Amino acid sequence: MRIKLPRLPALGVYLALACLFAGAWLTHPAPKHSSFALISPVPAVTDEAAKPIYTSRFASSGLVDFVHSSAITALPDGSLMAVWFAGSREGAADVQVRSARFNVSTGEWGEEQVMATRDSTQQSTRKYIRKLGNPVIALAPDNRLWLFYVSVSMGGWAGSAVNVMVSDDFGVNWSAPRQLITSPFLNISTLVRSAPVFHVDGSIGLPVYHEFLGKFAEYLYLSADGEVIDKYRISHGNHSLQPAVVPLDGQRGIALLRYAGNTHHRVLASRTEDAGQTWSEPFPLDPSNPNSSLAAVATPEHGMLVALNDLQEGRFKLSLYLTDAKMVDWRLVHDLDKSPDPEGDPYSPLAYKEIIGKKFRDSSGELRQPLEAQFLDNLDNRVCKSEECEFEYEYPYFIRSPDGMYHLVYSWNNTFIKHVTFNDAWLSERLK
Amino acid sequence: MISLWQAHLSFAMIIFLVLPAFGLNKVWRIALLLALLAASFIPLGGLSLAAYLRSHIDDLAITSLVFMGWGCLRRLEMLPPAQKDHIGVLILFAVMALVLYPATLGLSDLDPYRRGFSPRPLLFVIAMLTFGAFYLRNYLAVVMLTGATLTFIAGLKPSHNYWDYLIDPLLGLYCCLALLVLATRWAYRRLITQRSPIRNKSV
Repeated sequence: MRIKLPRLPALGVYLALACLFAGAWLTHPAPKHSSFALISPVPAVTDEAAKPIYTSRFASSGLVDFVHSSAITALPDGSLMAVWFAGSREGAADVQVRSARFNVSTGEWGEEQVMATRDSTQQSTRKYIRKLGNPVIALAPDNRLWLFYVSVSMGGWAGSAVNVMVSDDFGVNWSAPRQLITSPFLNISTLVRSAPVFHVDGSIGLPVYHEFLGKFAEYLYLSADGEVIDKYRISHGNHSLQPAVVPLDGQRGIALLRYAGNTHHRVLASRTEDAGQTWSEPFPLDPSNPNSSLAAVATPEHGMLVALNDLQEGRFKLSLYLTDAKMVDWRLVHDLDKSPDPEGDPYSPLAYKEIIGKKFRDSSGELRQPLEAQFLDNLDNRVCKSEECEFEYEYPYFIRSPDGMYHLVYSWNNTFIKHVTFNDAWLSERLK
Repeated sequence: MISLWQAHLSFAMIIFLVLPAFGLNKVWRIALLLALLAASFIPLGGLSLAAYLRSHIDDLAITSLVFMGWGCLRRLEMLPPAQKDHIGVLILFAVMALVLYPATLGLSDLDPYRRGFSPRPLLFVIAMLTFGAFYLRNYLAVVMLTGATLTFIAGLKPSHNYWDYLIDPLLGLYCCLALLVLATRWAYRRLITQRSPIRNKSV
């Protein structure tokens, strides 16, 4: 039997194809994965002389918009920048991503600024944009300020894509938004909510989640320039969202997940031992979770502070817990905000107005205090439906700034973004 | 900006291929294609028509552009009518779509999309498929796969993932539907030919 050899032109084509694929092979090695970058450790302020500090104020100042899903970052000059979305309602076409700066000298939040709108996102991405959603902001170790936010071109939140903007001058000027490509299916079904994590080589770990056919969490791995170069599954299936990733050291980390299933209604956790490349099967923890977002930050004593709605149902109480790295021992530090009704039952508008007026005075900070009368006149369907008014404290976002202060922002009845600050001395005092 | 040019090309070719031939001759078909390309630039609410379409179908894979280009050239009678190698292409991309999309969207614990970021094993598989297609003289498949790989090396798309050059949901859906139609036709014909001798016998 004679073996038929390919002719010379065919051999040439085989050779050209081999060269093409060899070229692709050589130019596309696997991306290198770097350890978690840990912010230079600030020793716990346990000095007897250190005064406990616990303050609260509103970061937002608008009175009519539905405000939600806030995030905060610390800037090198000691100031802070917060972002959130605001509009006539969640998912409305007029929703904007807004920001405000905390002036360290006055100790107050400045005026709101518009960071992104449906129109600005549409013009830059050259895609039709129906609505905007969750923003997150973080300052990278190389002092580039990153803003990620969700946009939807079609459908509901399951049709989300993630947009990114970056600033090289601490938020004075921003790049035009562009979309990250995170999914092969029409680039939809990826949302952000929790704080990004930085790695030693400047790469960015962005905790994201999917809400299309499944509800599961992922860890997007971005280059220092914000290009998606890898991704890792944190969870699977249809019952976990919004991972809050807390690095414990260079390799170890914990992701706390919002539970979106129908079985145990508890916070889920997953561990990584290789800086986010592989994650353990998520397991339920002690605190309850009523399918609501939560936030966590590491403490100098290798524990974690977690802000969450430790409730079976509703979001009428937001609590601060301290837990160890094993997440076995949970200690309630403080109820950050809660409805006076232990079951979170609604109030009549009249009774509600009186209660929320007092809560406003306790929360607003000095600068926003004069807004009280206007605020009480504007109570609408953000808090009251069918003559029943409820309290909602939700979507916390947690950071520890380089000066050792803890900063927490969250939605205060969807009318304000509340900023709470405390230090280790206050924490020690609470735990006595 | 490459993605926008791609969007305009996609807009013109998709509509050209979806529209019936209207009995137009070659010159008028070329004119129609060019008219559609021009129409893709028509602004509507601050975006071009092509950008609106792109908002819903995203940036298509390079393979799709090659496949649609091949379809347009056939429509313009610049290429001979489709041979059977067309079926090989349908099978190849239908399988790719079925491997990629359900698992990536969360119906499996595996995430094949991730393999596109560290693409060496995937490159090996695609290289073998390309060699096989060339050996079988399926030149359409060869051009589609080499086009995707070449543009991947050049980084012409904003994605760093090899999968985004290889396949998109539109191509996957088309291939699956076309195979279903072909399979239905084949089964129907087989049924007819099986019945025919019985009918002949009874006559």
